[in-house]
Amino acid sequence: MADTPHKPVPRPYQDTQAYWDAAREKRLILQRCRDCQKFQFFPRGVCSHCLGSALEWVDSPGRGVVHTFTIAHRAPHPGFANQVPFVIGIIELEEGVRMMTNIVGCDPNSVRIDMPVKVTFEEATPDITLPQFTPA
Amino acid sequence: MTIEIGIDPSAYLRDKYAIVGVGETTYTRGSGKTTRAMAVQAVRNAILDAGLKPSQVDGMLAYQNGDACFSTPVAGDLGIHLNFYMDIFGGGSSVEALIGVAMGAIEAGMCKTVVIYRSMNGYSGVRIGWTGVRAARPVEGDALHNRVYGWTSAGQRYAMSFMRHMYDYGTTSEQVAAVKVAHSKHASNNPKALYRKRVTVEDVVNSRMVCAPLHLLDCCLETDNATAVVVTSVDRARDCRHVPALIAGVVGRACQPRTDMHLQYGPVSTSVGHYARERLWKAAGVGPEDIDVTGSYDAFTFTTMMQLEDYGFCKKGEGGDYVSNGTIELGGRRPNNTSGGALCEGYTHGVSMVIENVRQLRHDVDDSCPVGPDGHKQHTFDYREGGCRQVKDAQLSTNLGWAGPDKGSALVMRRGTR
Repeated sequence: MADTPHKPVPRPYQDTQAYWDAAREKRLILQRCRDCQKFQFFPRGVCSHCLGSALEWVDSPGRGVVHTFTIAHRAPHPGFANQVPFVIGIIELEEGVRMMTNIVGCDPNSVRIDMPVKVTFEEATPDITLPQFTPA
Repeated sequence: MTIEIGIDPSAYLRDKYAIVGVGETTYTRGSGKTTRAMAVQAVRNAILDAGLKPSQVDGMLAYQNGDACFSTPVAGDLGIHLNFYMDIFGGGSSVEALIGVAMGAIEAGMCKTVVIYRSMNGYSGVRIGWTGVRAARPVEGDALHNRVYGWTSAGQRYAMSFMRHMYDYGTTSEQVAAVKVAHSKHASNNPKALYRKRVTVEDVVNSRMVCAPLHLLDCCLETDNATAVVVTSVDRARDCRHVPALIAGVVGRACQPRTDMHLQYGPVSTSVGHYARERLWKAAGVGPEDIDVTGSYDAFTFTTMMQLEDYGFCKKGEGGDYVSNGTIELGGRRPNNTSGGALCEGYTHGVSMVIENVRQLRHDVDDSCPVGPDGHKQHTFDYREGGCRQVKDAQLSTNLGWAGPDKGSALVMRRGTR
């Protein structure tokens, strides 16, 4: 076991492999339905708007605003112990979908709802890079 | 009230079923007992409270989160021959929904009388916060995009709804702190409550931050306990010991339009009551203005506020005022969680709040008032510390169960007659 436990990381599977592969290349990609043209997050095998299965990947510029957030003062896992207090937020992307993230690179107490943010990337392990957001 | 729900109101089972027995163990931290042993104790107490024999109970429903024994050994320990049982996954909002399921099972002829229980070592065993051992479980499924960001505990899961409510409606920490203040007053008149000390708004907002905007005292207790209720038809209820608490209407597990990740859709500052209330009030044949006492689930101070608001006890956005203007305190227009609730009495995933309202409707709440020659409490209606907690002439109660902002159940009960 490593000296410092890393955070829990995702185990990519069929529907999400492309998403995590892109994240490792520091790209944020979103799923869009070719039938109804709507975006969805997170990735899955069927469009949850129209049940279409023709889903494509679209590069996102990763811009949005904070829809809501919390500041966690306790580590839910040893991997977060050196990060408390940290911000968990919901970002509303320009594409219209909302995604969960940490809001990093700023004082947690400076985070506000409707604050503009942009994507950044955190290499959690050699295999997994997490999209994160920081003030724009 | 305009939503067409497509059911003839005459088809409802309004007032045809009742809760006839209630029972619990001591609310503790460190029970020293298995969940099976506690369940046996609580179910026994509920059956005896109803004036029934084990042979008159033939249905059992229990809920858990992989943290408790199943209902079959509990029935066996009590000598109950089951015609129907089911164990489901769930926490808050399970009990109200299972009361409806019990009614359906009896109505279908599957059984005659059902015990519903929840047994949990929520402090000494598996804790609710999903910390410790549970945090080490693999990240998969819908946790892929959540847990990797540290989104784990109940507080973290719900805090973002309150944060947005503050933004949308100007609700303040001080306003929801009044929920803890009210429930602590109620608990101070409840000899079985774990926390009986009265607190102030300042105590709450000056307690340490757990996950903003939730302070330590905005969060409920973690305790070890079992709690149980007995549901049967109104005909059988007449042979039981107490005035029955008739089930006027029930909804659950009602949901928001999207339950895959509710924070990604719709208004975050609105909870499921907004979507469930038409069905509830239509089923019960009454409205929020008719209710004498509420049991709005207090996993956190703001969950009580948000549900009361979304089920229509006040206008949307005015929940902060509603919970801080005296309405929800004993002596106010519509007290909430007169036992002290999950914030002060003990954490039982909702059964305790139904138990309390059954006792309220019996006019026999177990406070420190003297017992009269008829064996019932002689209530003083003096709500000062250590005093009475009976709501005067309570006729109608509502329980609002919270499984999250996006999932919940509700129950309206009416005082019956012998």
